Amino acid sequence: MMDRIATEKQTARVTSPLQCWECRTALADEQENGIHFCSQCGKVQPLATKTDYFSFFGLTRKLGVDAAQLEKQFHQLSWKLHPDKFNNAGAYERDLSLERTAALNDAYRTLRDPAARTEYLLRLEEVRKEGKVKQQAPPDLLEEVFELNEHLEELRAAKRSGSDPRALDEQRHQLEKARGTFQHKLDQVLAELTNQFAAWDALLDTRPGDAAAKRTVLARMNEVLNRHSYIRNLVTNVSDELEQ
Amino acid sequence: MGRIIGIDLGTTNSLVAFTDAETRQPRCLPDPQGRTLLPSVVSLDSAGAMVVGWPAWEGLLHQSQRSVYSVKRLMGRGVEDVQEELKLFPFRVAPDSQSVIKIELGEPGTAQKTLTPPEVSAFILRELKRRAEQFFGEEVTRAVITVPAYFNDAQRQATKDAGRIAGLEVERLVNEPTAASLAYGLDKHQRALIAVYDFGGGTFDISLLQLEEGLFKVLSTNGDTHLGGDDIDNLFAEKIGQEIQAQFGVKVSASPDLYQSLRRTLIAAKHELSQQDATTIRFKLEGKGEYTRALSREEFEGWIAPIVERTLGPCKRALRDAGLKPEQIDEVVLVGGSTRLPLVRRRVQELFGRKPHCELNPDEVVALGAAVQAHILEGGVTDMLLLDVTPLSLGIETMGGAVAKIIPRNATIPASASEMFTTYVDNQTGVDIQVVQGERELVKDCRSLARFTLKVPPQPAGLPRVEVKFLIDANGILSVAARDLRTGQEHTVEVKPSYGLSDDEVERMILESIEHAEVDFAATQLIGVRNDAETILRATTGALAGEQAQELSAEELRRIEAARAALQEAMGSDDHRLIRERLEELNQATHNLAELLMNTAVRAAVKGKRPDEVSL
Ligand SMILES: [Zn+2]
Repeated sequence: MMDRIATEKQTARVTSPLQCWECRTALADEQENGIHFCSQCGKVQPLATKTDYFSFFGLTRKLGVDAAQLEKQFHQLSWKLHPDKFNNAGAYERDLSLERTAALNDAYRTLRDPAARTEYLLRLEEVRKEGKVKQQAPPDLLEEVFELNEHLEELRAAKRSGSDPRALDEQRHQLEKARGTFQHKLDQVLAELTNQFAAWDALLDTRPGDAAAKRTVLARMNEVLNRHSYIRNLVTNVSDELEQ
Repeated sequence: MGRIIGIDLGTTNSLVAFTDAETRQPRCLPDPQGRTLLPSVVSLDSAGAMVVGWPAWEGLLHQSQRSVYSVKRLMGRGVEDVQEELKLFPFRVAPDSQSVIKIELGEPGTAQKTLTPPEVSAFILRELKRRAEQFFGEEVTRAVITVPAYFNDAQRQATKDAGRIAGLEVERLVNEPTAASLAYGLDKHQRALIAVYDFGGGTFDISLLQLEEGLFKVLSTNGDTHLGGDDIDNLFAEKIGQEIQAQFGVKVSASPDLYQSLRRTLIAAKHELSQQDATTIRFKLEGKGEYTRALSREEFEGWIAPIVERTLGPCKRALRDAGLKPEQIDEVVLVGGSTRLPLVRRRVQELFGRKPHCELNPDEVVALGAAVQAHILEGGVTDMLLLDVTPLSLGIETMGGAVAKIIPRNATIPASASEMFTTYVDNQTGVDIQVVQGERELVKDCRSLARFTLKVPPQPAGLPRVEVKFLIDANGILSVAARDLRTGQEHTVEVKPSYGLSDDEVERMILESIEHAEVDFAATQLIGVRNDAETILRATTGALAGEQAQELSAEELRRIEAARAALQEAMGSDDHRLIRERLEELNQATHNLAELLMNTAVRAAVKGKRPDEVSL
């Protein structure tokens, strides 16, 4: 029996390319500025070991990300890196295109979503280590969660026993109302999370070496994030049931 | 490198298309009779050769137990997955079927054959490959093949295997709804959100895309690989079968040939009800009389409504995953033969609040899109790019049979995830990893894709560090690589697919198929040309007896008679080329006669059926 010890989603495979594999031109350290192609011959380059999702896009680890700008960059890089553009290239270049496009997609998927972005940062900063975070109901929500689960169970039971459509509709309606409440809470928690982005980003600007201050901010975000993922799972479960 | 063709390998019909490099317009290639559709049916003839397409489709009525249709529903599946549909199929499944279904054709004592679904599909692919080769006058070895967006890894791999067995390098698997959006092209400049509702013969897909300046970005997809026109036909056959049993005491489903015949009658009735408000079903029962029944569209729609309703759940889930509301969708595109049903069109219009597009032939649009993607891969199109997604979440088994999701559904592909593993006990040398696809939280509720064992050198517990990288490529197919972080050593990972053929098996099938290809091709041609010849012979005899023949000169009548006799003689041989040649000669000779008979049978019979009559 073996166990996963970490969820490290960065795609780090090849040691930092100091020079272009094709023309041997010396290349800058990718970690700093997201270099994808050789500045001389334009060939796509292997991923550097230290590349993380932020550096892939030439970003620092700030959480305030301009979504429109990120999408634009994603599109531009897709046009250049996608395997469709390398179908007639050699095997090695095709592999590089595949690997780098996968990294591009992984990075974009993670960074465009504020919660996923935060979670990723917390892993990079080693605040979250385990692959899976314990799902525990926040104490102040216990009562409402209990009620929601009851509604869920009732709807499932009604579906199983083939209740008449009117009764089913009534159950659905109840559940939809409950979902609305939780969706609202989810929006609130997300706002709470993004409100803390500024504190983190300011720290990076003014006191990048202050490890203790960073830990405090990250720990606070971690807590909000746990609450967020708990409520999000609830809403997802309810939606799944409603749309079946 | 050679050209790349686009293939729609459908549940009911398959097509091949290519893009004209000059006009940049995709088009479907017809067979010599002018038909673009190839029925996805194969059958075993009495001499042990495989017959493909139209002749096999015609043969379904009198040798259904030697025929396979809708094999797409069996691709990449295990026997336990398909128990329900096997009840309806006329063919048998070999008792030793395990991770791959084996279909047994032919009764004991006659020519028999056992085939896996990829091999059956390969027959269809080979026929389309040959059609393209005849058209271009050169060998074709590269193809883009479409698959339902909701196909899982095993179903995709099975499709790729089918291509290899048929001698085709599968350059890309493209999702059918996405291919359709490429064919429509729609507005390539302004940003628009489109929904592609693809309800085919055996599968249902919904895909939501964002279009902007030639970039076709799929936002989400959902579907059901077990829901299609087949289900409507089966339900229809069940309803009418019950009525027939009540009235005549005949259990239609007990006789495979009779059941196929009823199905075909009802499919024709279904098509009529798409055009008109009512129809009359007539079905002859040997020695018992004729079942007759008037059926209104309303009543029919009442029966099939639950099936159509099942498509709406996936639509809602796709919208939710994309974070969109129905009213935000700018365009809705309909794909697949089942979208000809008025009820389907109404439901889609209600859901999205707008009239759907259906300008392109729903049977051809997917193949056309495959041809566009083929042209992109050839490098002929540089201002279009398709970014597709994986339909199902990828996960690995963790303690207690739970699933840890590592790549979520609707992630843009290619996508990857790396996971770190270590050992639990001292000197442990291997670790079992199971990969699954699905949305549920427990392994037992998801689809197992593969298992493999990571080899590690014996070390104290917790010391080894093995990084496993999971990669989903642009085809939606998974590969796995592992690396020991302490030694930097790459591990080879032998992934045994839970449902699918091993590489060795595929290699063996490729060899076998090359061996039999000529025989099977000749058999298919022979049956097809004999059917055509019989039709024209019958028609000619009839026409010569008719009054129009009086208007022909004696010389012309003599020429027709000579050509007729020559064809009749050729029918005695097994040479399909000779029969085709003589058939063409008779065709030529009867040209004037046919003109005279324009409204009667000759031309129509030779030209074959209208595409919309073509369905199983
Ligand atoms: Zn270079």
